[in-house]
Amino acid sequence: MLRLTLAVARKDLSLTLWRGNGLMQALLLGLLIFFVFSLSQEVGENLSPQSAAAVFWLSSTFCQVLIFNQLYALEEVNNSRLGLLLSPAPIPAVWLGKAIAGFILLLFAQLLFLPAAVVFLGQSLHGPLPPAVAILLLADTGMCALGSLLGALAQGQAARESLLSIVLFPLLTPLLLAGIGVGAQIFGNPSPNGPGAWMGIACAFDAIFLATGLLLFSFIYAGEE
Amino acid sequence: MRSLSIVPAMLVLSGSLTFACCQWLIYSYAPTEATMGLTQKIFYIHLPLAWWALFSFFLVFVGSVSYLLKRAPGADRLCAAAAETGVLLSGLALVTGTLWARKAWGVWWTWDPRLTTTLIMWFIYAGYLVLRGLNPPPQRKSLVCAVVGIAAFLDVPLVFVSARIWRSIHPAVFAAKDGGLEPEMKLTALGCVVSFGLFWAGLLWLRKRQLDLRDRLDTLASAAQQQ
Repeated sequence: MLRLTLAVARKDLSLTLWRGNGLMQALLLGLLIFFVFSLSQEVGENLSPQSAAAVFWLSSTFCQVLIFNQLYALEEVNNSRLGLLLSPAPIPAVWLGKAIAGFILLLFAQLLFLPAAVVFLGQSLHGPLPPAVAILLLADTGMCALGSLLGALAQGQAARESLLSIVLFPLLTPLLLAGIGVGAQIFGNPSPNGPGAWMGIACAFDAIFLATGLLLFSFIYAGEE
Repeated sequence: MRSLSIVPAMLVLSGSLTFACCQWLIYSYAPTEATMGLTQKIFYIHLPLAWWALFSFFLVFVGSVSYLLKRAPGADRLCAAAAETGVLLSGLALVTGTLWARKAWGVWWTWDPRLTTTLIMWFIYAGYLVLRGLNPPPQRKSLVCAVVGIAAFLDVPLVFVSARIWRSIHPAVFAAKDGGLEPEMKLTALGCVVSFGLFWAGLLWLRKRQLDLRDRLDTLASAAQQQ
């Protein structure tokens, strides 16, 4: 299954990065969010670390919605979904493959969002970096596991982006709180509790939704429109 | 044709009557709280709304699992009825909660775990109802909704714990070691929960029956069109 999973991920990454707009739409939306929030600051004033972390994760979440819509839209043309379903890959391999592709694309986008937070929102990195990197990877894992599961639900629907957003955003709340909590510490708002509790939440979220995705994806990824 | 059962109507009626009787418990039997005064009485409506909303969402979860295992359309309609009832009750719980928060804590809203969890649940299941309002083939819609119904309920404990780490000021009314409530208050609250439960069961049953009848009519209409 792993070989087929990687094949799906490689296919999605190639099609997304080397064809059409690629990741441009998702990146532009994320950067625009940073720019718009920078307007809330007076001249010489900086956004609080917690607000800056919230903007970072807001951009990431919108970006993730666009990424997974794009990944699932790849198979919308020419009934390619049927081709994918008829391939010898087990259906959960499609879910995992798209989750891995989405994870790489989201991480790439966040590498651009981080400097945007420093430049537009006047932040600087204060806290220890290992917990920040760990929570980033854990939160992205959960976001992509759930995004890949629910990305398929909007297939064939008009207004896919808004549909996915209203279903996905509330479900991501624990991860967003974890990301914002640790992000605020990294941007210079130390917490007496440290990042440990948030790591636990993010790990629990990842475990639950990786298992859920593996079990339930086959039910919603089907041939009909 | 089978006549429709009167049980749901009886449940709604008995729930309404017992809740009317509970008003005596609320205003005459239960003591008035020392610091909040009459505003504390909101609690006797807020608590049953929140509990039965949560139970409705649990039913969505159970119905969703059942649908995925057996593909019974009745389970899907139960999920629809429970989600609608849950969204209605959690919406009312949020309204009564904000009124309470204004008086007790001086703010309309605070990021307390229980309030936050109720709000997030409301958002999740309102999104679920939007999904149910779409028009894909019925079986696909039921499958998608079942998957979302399961994912949504699995998320609830995580939302609660994460919101508790974020910050908390909610009173622990039943879980506190000293009880948190006077015995008279506890009895009144339990009376309200039971009477609301009867009303809730009747409401859910009626809505499920409406959906069953709509489904039957749709089937008859499509059969008539094919002839």
